[in-house]
Amino acid sequence: MQTMQPTLRNGRNIWGRINMPFEEFQGRIDILRGKMTDHRIDILLAYGYAFNDYGNPCYLSNYVIRLPRGSLVVLSPDDVALFFEGASRGLPSAKRLTWVEDVRPCPDISKACVSYLEEKSLTESRIGLAGVDEWMPYDQRQFLINALKKCTFVDSQPFFRDMRIIKSERELDQIRRASHIVNKVFEKLDSATLPGLIERALEATIIKEARLEGAEDVRVLFGLPRQKNWALRPAGEESLPAGESLIIYLALVYERYWSAAARTLQIEDHILKIPQLEAWQSFYSELTDCLQPGKDIATCRRDILARIEKHDTDFIFDYGLGQGIGLSPEEGPWLDETAGGSLESGMCMALHPCMRDATLGAVMIGNTLVVSERGIEVLTA
Amino acid sequence: MTENHLKLQKTTELIQEKQLDGLVIYSGGTCSILRPSYLHYFSDFKPMGPRNAAVVSKSGDVVLLVEPFWDEDRASRKSWIPEIHGSAHFMEDLRSVLEKMGIAGPVGLAGSREMTADVYRALEALVEIQPADDILEQVARVKSQRELAVVQKVAALSDIGFSAFLKHAREGIREYELAALMEFAMRSAGAEDIFILLSSGANNFEMHDPTDRRLERGDILIGEITPVLEGQFFQLCRTLVLGEASALLQEKYALLMRALEKTLAKVRAGVPASIISKTMNRIFSEAGYEKYCYPPYMRARGHGFGAGSLAPGGVIDDNTQTDLVKDQVVVVHPNQWLPETGYLACGGTFLITENGYEEPSRTETKLYIKEG
Repeated sequence: MQTMQPTLRNGRNIWGRINMPFEEFQGRIDILRGKMTDHRIDILLAYGYAFNDYGNPCYLSNYVIRLPRGSLVVLSPDDVALFFEGASRGLPSAKRLTWVEDVRPCPDISKACVSYLEEKSLTESRIGLAGVDEWMPYDQRQFLINALKKCTFVDSQPFFRDMRIIKSERELDQIRRASHIVNKVFEKLDSATLPGLIERALEATIIKEARLEGAEDVRVLFGLPRQKNWALRPAGEESLPAGESLIIYLALVYERYWSAAARTLQIEDHILKIPQLEAWQSFYSELTDCLQPGKDIATCRRDILARIEKHDTDFIFDYGLGQGIGLSPEEGPWLDETAGGSLESGMCMALHPCMRDATLGAVMIGNTLVVSERGIEVLTA
Repeated sequence: MTENHLKLQKTTELIQEKQLDGLVIYSGGTCSILRPSYLHYFSDFKPMGPRNAAVVSKSGDVVLLVEPFWDEDRASRKSWIPEIHGSAHFMEDLRSVLEKMGIAGPVGLAGSREMTADVYRALEALVEIQPADDILEQVARVKSQRELAVVQKVAALSDIGFSAFLKHAREGIREYELAALMEFAMRSAGAEDIFILLSSGANNFEMHDPTDRRLERGDILIGEITPVLEGQFFQLCRTLVLGEASALLQEKYALLMRALEKTLAKVRAGVPASIISKTMNRIFSEAGYEKYCYPPYMRARGHGFGAGSLAPGGVIDDNTQTDLVKDQVVVVHPNQWLPETGYLACGGTFLITENGYEEPSRTETKLYIKEG
């Protein structure tokens, strides 16, 4: 689900070495170096940008940038260097967030990268690019490619896509921790008394509760599905009128990993209530039953759509069915028309169907799920 | 003529002046404190999705494309632009809009820094692209009455943020908890977004990310408290001591205060912006701290803060070339790392006038001391 990105990651920002120790990163580096050898790649550039697409460099270094700027890990057979766009004064705190020793602040990541490759005499190399074509601003990408005319380039984003799509036990635990915060926030909202309820104040409360639990980044969307032409949107200055139903979509990050959920609430005077919605919960369970490890993802999607059709549900397709979640709020596997590959144990999904409802206007139920050999584990139930 | 019609008229005039066939104002959906979103400024709409653009023809027709497509209704309510389309196939929709508007010649592009290679290449295949950030910078340079009113409102939000800083700073609270409570106070009062830098300790090197560190008696707390409203940022830089402030700290903070006072005495429309940096650096140098006026210790002595225009610049240092102009919103902060005390924060956001400046914030600039 697309959400409003912040100006700055304002939340807690640490490297939790117990939750995500050095060995986890070393294992990833070792696998990537193996892939580099297999593909005769001398240097791998793992680029990330801002708040949604920081995953590649973070996957290798744990570093995440707080501003809408770029970060980059340069991996060679012998060295690892981390670049981030920012002032040199930020170096000590950047170093606290990563195991990488060679950390370099810079005003422009493409220029700094070229200088580094010149410094290491690597300007006639075979370079793997991951995230550069996808997220690097065009002018920076052009500078990089033009300055390295003697290099050949290999699209290496598939390395990251394939590795990141299957979460390790530690990664799953991080997503469980993020999901625990999501659950706590919704628990606090249920039956919460909020006098003078306006959207902005409710959003502030949600963000505060999440931040106090350690959330790095928090995204909130509201929808008033009984109103004409409603859509999910960021909070405004509007009041939340009694008697209305309210969809809240909440996504947040804990120590780099995302979790997301959606709930449909009722506004009763000054109290928010999360109704049981047993029939819809049962329908949701039927949809999750379509997700089975080992099954082709396109088939999972077809089966979900078939269930929707069978139930004669007035489904709202605007928000899609869902997708993978992890170091990015939206990543593979995709449950859209591009769905491919098979569903495997260790994949993590956000499934958030939205259906019309005669009483509430519409209902959205969204959860973060883990695919395991035992079936589907719902983390945000 | 309304403010938005004036904005469109000025934009159209500049398109014609540059002999362009049209202008694409692009946003990748992010918002940077030192790089205003031209699209947000122009359209009055802050986009969510990764690809969004306003297309303006040389005759003044304008169309807004937004992602995700289901955000169209919000865009229609927020923006003055009459024709708005939610887009599910951005490049196809952009091509179609350009064709429909008859734009085939050279096109100005504002916001290209937010554009990824796939979008740039697709646009380049349709029209000849010319950089045009300067069009929006020029249009936005003169602030409207509404924009000036927003500056006052967002200044009040920063005061609320500082009050929360003062109220909640106490022994035992963690840095990230303090930041959360400050954010809550400002958001509850209407801030759309927040930018908080904050550090605690006996000798801070920088303002870093909020950590798990618990505040202790004797800590020096430094904060840059920056709420956002309608794309306008407003910043307060303040220092707070938990417990007693040593005579040394008070003496060094007085140096920062003197640098601020001497600098502000020179600030007015028409003077070079670099006077801010040069005055501060002179004061600190005379006190024996010249080495610490430059990287890696210090870099900028201030910066512009604008919705649409960053004038007089994203960094004010000794080399800044532009002059200050009436109604510019300028951050003036003699924040300084000193070996004896660490990094100290002082300063804020000022509105440039013909004869000097206005200070929209009501939070006093001083070394704050909080017992307990």
